[in-house]
Amino acid sequence: MKRSRVGFLFILPWLIGLILFTTFPLIAALFIGFTDWNIAGNANWVGFDNYIELFGEDAFWNAMWVTFRYAIVAIPMTTITALVVAIVLAKDMRGAGIFRVIFYMPAVVSGAAVAIIFKWILDANFGLLNGFLELFGINGPDWLGDPSWVFPSYLILALWGAGSGLFIFLAAIKDIPRSLYESAIIDGASVFQQATRITMPLVTPIIFYSLVMGIIGAFRKFTDAFILGGAGDQGEFVMVYLYDLAFADYQMGKATALAWILFMIILTLTVILNVSKKYWVHTE
Amino acid sequence: MEKLKEKSIELIIIYKRKQLCLGFFETSRNILENVDINFIKVYYKVINALGGIPMKKIWLIMTTLVLSITLIGCNNQEEEGVYSLATWAAGTELSELQEIVDEVNEEAEGEFEIKINSIPSNYYQQIAVLMGARQAPDMFWLTQEIVPKYAHDLGALADISDNLEDSEKLNLDDYYEGVIESTYYDGSYWGLPWISNPLVVYYNQDLFDQAGVEAPSETDDWDWNEFIDKAEALTGETNHNGDDVYGTVIDGWPNLETFLWSGGGDVIADDYETIVLDSEASINGLDNLHEMITKGITPRYGIVDSLGGNNVWFERQQAAMFMGGVQDDFEEKIERMDEEDKFELGYAPMPTNLDGSKSSFNWTASTVLHKSNEDDPLAYEAMEALTLKIFDWKIAPPVKDSTDKIIDSNPDKEAMIPTIEHTLQFARSGHYIPEWDGTSGINDRLWYDLYLQMLRDEDFDYVSAAEDIADFSRDLIGERE
Repeated sequence: MKRSRVGFLFILPWLIGLILFTTFPLIAALFIGFTDWNIAGNANWVGFDNYIELFGEDAFWNAMWVTFRYAIVAIPMTTITALVVAIVLAKDMRGAGIFRVIFYMPAVVSGAAVAIIFKWILDANFGLLNGFLELFGINGPDWLGDPSWVFPSYLILALWGAGSGLFIFLAAIKDIPRSLYESAIIDGASVFQQATRITMPLVTPIIFYSLVMGIIGAFRKFTDAFILGGAGDQGEFVMVYLYDLAFADYQMGKATALAWILFMIILTLTVILNVSKKYWVHTE
Repeated sequence: MEKLKEKSIELIIIYKRKQLCLGFFETSRNILENVDINFIKVYYKVINALGGIPMKKIWLIMTTLVLSITLIGCNNQEEEGVYSLATWAAGTELSELQEIVDEVNEEAEGEFEIKINSIPSNYYQQIAVLMGARQAPDMFWLTQEIVPKYAHDLGALADISDNLEDSEKLNLDDYYEGVIESTYYDGSYWGLPWISNPLVVYYNQDLFDQAGVEAPSETDDWDWNEFIDKAEALTGETNHNGDDVYGTVIDGWPNLETFLWSGGGDVIADDYETIVLDSEASINGLDNLHEMITKGITPRYGIVDSLGGNNVWFERQQAAMFMGGVQDDFEEKIERMDEEDKFELGYAPMPTNLDGSKSSFNWTASTVLHKSNEDDPLAYEAMEALTLKIFDWKIAPPVKDSTDKIIDSNPDKEAMIPTIEHTLQFARSGHYIPEWDGTSGINDRLWYDLYLQMLRDEDFDYVSAAEDIADFSRDLIGERE
């Protein structure tokens, strides 16, 4: 009994932090979402007005469209890229170590630094990318200044950072017993059959994990979007819109309502993914 | 001792197995593996001693701690006569401000005391957070375009109209009309401006001489047609380094108001309610801007940044005229240049508008009082004393008959004084309203959907864009509760 009390005392400082800085703000945010709090004044109860207003705003639907479109394209794109590169790097060919370092490097650079570098890379007049395209006689677009090129710009950035997921796939592939491949080879399986019948099924738990994290990441996308922006509100992801509502427009009530909508979307998508798990995720 | 350390780690592992609070255990283990062993010894003894306490009491301790921390966090007790001042000043500017505040405090002889709270980055976000936490500063700095939002939408500012009228030290008549108007909204004054930075035209006398173009006078009127003619004549010249010269540089600066005013128009009329962006006069102003862009008297928008900023084009003698504020320190920069790069600097007022009126955009900033100090005369007194002191520091002071102070604090600007004095008579800020600022505000639309597009595309239909933004602005005002 004493041992359990001692244990409880050990976790007490953390527990106090959890209550003060996580539980309490969470409940407060739920309440604030039903008020017209503008930060400076008093909060008045407005019921579901914030939610109703949000659903009636073009800016809200634009932010949703920008975020969903990014999630639908970027998550599968980066997952497939990471998986394919991991399969190749798992072969332990010459120089694989160097490539692993190169692919993983983006993961260790801070988001703000990446965004600032990409602002220069994507610059219409002096950017590295347009300079490269010019070598082939191509007049590069105004990546972040032309609304129709903002989305591809973010995809380029996402692809560049795909290496962070690569190592989880690599670890999973390396974890697959060699005996399975050896048996398959004896049975006459081709390289493609080995990849689709052995590697793919056994890495589905990692794909599942990657998709869940990808969805959460896409809906929480902020740092690079905040710095890079994008013409025609095409860089206005939900989190950026939320930040703007709270700290530029001082509509804290509406911003917290949006946070709860965001939470519900992420929760719903994660639940759907979880339900679908039994149909495609391989478990022992 | 090592045994003790091992025991602690083991204990944590046991609880980790119980799947309790994973994050905490990881953190604790990291701490135990890295912190001083003496600390662990004391910590372990304390916890063990407390282990004898019944569970009910532990819950009581926890609840007390949570409540205590919450109450400490909510504690906003202020010392009487002590006022906090939030400022974006940092570095040298902050040190200079601190000296000024020290002087003010000393002269107050204990009646009040001002304490500086420096917020050098994310200033407005931090102010918002402080207000949200009921820890708003007693006084803080605001730029002109934000004042109506803070006064009207947020209700965060004290109305100082009566104080300003009654004061013998600093009142409405002391200020230039265009400056004090920058803190006016909804029939009241909301702050004391402490700086005035009107636009003037800096020009390169050497390039004018080289092109055989007559330079503008330092105080006489000249209009936008003359400005464009001179700029056209200067464009295409070659400077001492063999670089092409442009007449001027426009890249989002000067602001759109400058050009709207040039046609006799504006965004919002002087009743602070009527949108006139799509009026004939405003469209004339946009025509004026469009003419400057299409005539090529300014480098293309996309290449301005290649030199590192619009002012650099002027400093490198690649732009013959620059519409800048009093605070642009070209004099000092020229002084530091190599002999062959130096040039003679000239000053002229902003061109007269096409309808004959005069204007110059005046960037101002004010100190405002938080609403909670509205009924505290001492708070106003402190703010007033500070503002009067800042007049000796910042250029240009926003009050009449004070241009001598510019020479005291910045002797380099002496040659500019006649132009500044002339300009301050008619310099003003925009007629800002609460809907101006913010992400869904009028200003954003003006920049992204009008000015930027005009700079990027010579064929852009700016008339339709102005009409759209005017309608959007009217809708915003119509939505006001």
